[in-house]
Amino acid sequence: MNGSRRRLSPWAIPLLVLAVVAFVTPVYIMFKVSFSSPAEVLTAHPTFWFKDFTVKHWREVIASGNLAGPLYKSLSVATLATLAALAITAPGAYVISRFPPSIRYTVVLALFFTRMFPDVGVALPIAVTFIKWNLLDTHLGLVLAHLTKVLPFIAWILVGTFETIPADLEQAAWVDGANRLQTLARVVLPLAAPGLAVAAMLVWLESWNEFTYALYLTLSENTLPLQTYYYVQRGNWFQAAAYSSLLTVPVMAVTFLLQRYLRSGYLSGSLKG
Amino acid sequence: MKMLAIRRLRPEWLLLLPLAAYILGFTLLPVLRSIMLGFTTDKGAFTLDNYRQLFQNTQFLTALRNTLAITALDLTLAMTLGLGLALILTREFRLRGMFRSLMMVPMGVPTIVSGVTLMYIFDTSGYLNELLYRLGLIQLPIDWAAGGLRTLLMVVFADLWKVTPIVVLLMLAGLESIAEELYEAAAVDGATGWQAFMRVTLPLLKPAITMTVILRGVDTFRIFELPLILAGRVNPVLATFAYTEYNQYHNSNTSGAAASFLMALILVCVVLYLVLVERERKAKVS
Repeated sequence: MNGSRRRLSPWAIPLLVLAVVAFVTPVYIMFKVSFSSPAEVLTAHPTFWFKDFTVKHWREVIASGNLAGPLYKSLSVATLATLAALAITAPGAYVISRFPPSIRYTVVLALFFTRMFPDVGVALPIAVTFIKWNLLDTHLGLVLAHLTKVLPFIAWILVGTFETIPADLEQAAWVDGANRLQTLARVVLPLAAPGLAVAAMLVWLESWNEFTYALYLTLSENTLPLQTYYYVQRGNWFQAAAYSSLLTVPVMAVTFLLQRYLRSGYLSGSLKG
Repeated sequence: MKMLAIRRLRPEWLLLLPLAAYILGFTLLPVLRSIMLGFTTDKGAFTLDNYRQLFQNTQFLTALRNTLAITALDLTLAMTLGLGLALILTREFRLRGMFRSLMMVPMGVPTIVSGVTLMYIFDTSGYLNELLYRLGLIQLPIDWAAGGLRTLLMVVFADLWKVTPIVVLLMLAGLESIAEELYEAAAVDGATGWQAFMRVTLPLLKPAITMTVILRGVDTFRIFELPLILAGRVNPVLATFAYTEYNQYHNSNTSGAAASFLMALILVCVVLYLVLVERERKAKVS
């Protein structure tokens, strides 16, 4: 019976292989559809392997002239949201991280609590207000909405980051005659840089992916996810596949870049308080 | 010493302001306004009619039933599958790293895109039907979006595809925090693999399970993109119902009422779960 945890039952590996195949196949199919001739997909018996490789749909994506606008809007909204989120959250998260543990735990829990509200409940009044403020279809409006979605999450991660920086280091800097601002700039921020970078990437992705708020706050100036949905509604599988692939590439890249952080308890560690 | 640290921090409390103000103004205030919208007429007078109408609206009742069914099924399957896969991944075997990485592929897919890709899979002439056909399991294609249980299952499987990797990660983090010595001690005492799982793994994994169930439960209650793309308006969930009321019928008040109801449902379920779990833990201690 020794080492019962180490032994692998015979069905474990087949199950794992099956799961991994199920996880990977849909992504493959999406890329495949975007490079397939319609005859190969829009039939009662679609093929799993490439038979008729074509870049026709991608050429249409570029030729249609519908790409530049949404791409520009998605890129600029995501970038602005990232900068604003860090500027708003980092100072607050630093202060929270220096609270006594019991208060810190309560604050983090309260932040977590705001994540329970459904997007449709928050987006509705925001949309109603933004109509009055003329913020529909603007970059600013969408940035403001996306901040709503990312702030609690980012604060949560940053509190965890600042917690790991010992307060002793700051006191040592004060003793050496540095003032508060110098301490923050020279001691705290450099040590927090990796955490800030991870947070920045996560905000950027969240905004790049975001669909619900964009749907409520847009009339004609689509973001990339909305443009994708537009083609889904029109039943254009190939344009939808091409746009989906375009959306996926940066997300996939960052997800694998951040693998280490996603694994090492970043998700659960910050909740221990 | 501690007092000193707090006093020194005092001017920095100002740094909290932007974050606090933003969450107040752009999350709590909108939530309150949503609730108010649900309790007022379009002229702004107080009324309960929105809720009265909701519970006579068959679309809403269908949406409610769908949401509850999807959440129950989804949570059960995601936790079972996620824990099972995580248990396999804690063991040593060849190519483990590769399996772990490949398993994360769905996490690299935006939610809206997962809706699109799974549309290719679940379409009547889609890839799942083709696979089943080639395996000889079906002769005629199944119309997954036709409604009823089969459509709910489609949404559940689509969501499982997207979220099981996250559950695996959270479970792995929990499993890796359990000390190896406990298993050695259990083995010395003659425990079988199953006994070790029931008496060592599960109790120690409870905090991780509680957190995952709540995180996942909340997200499944508010599921929006996948049903919107896959099931369409015929088979609403609460979130898509609220959206349709606002977007198609320009009925902010009904939409507000539906969204508030969803919010209340989530709150009640989370609190109930916490109370039940906590009570069970206390009962065990005493």
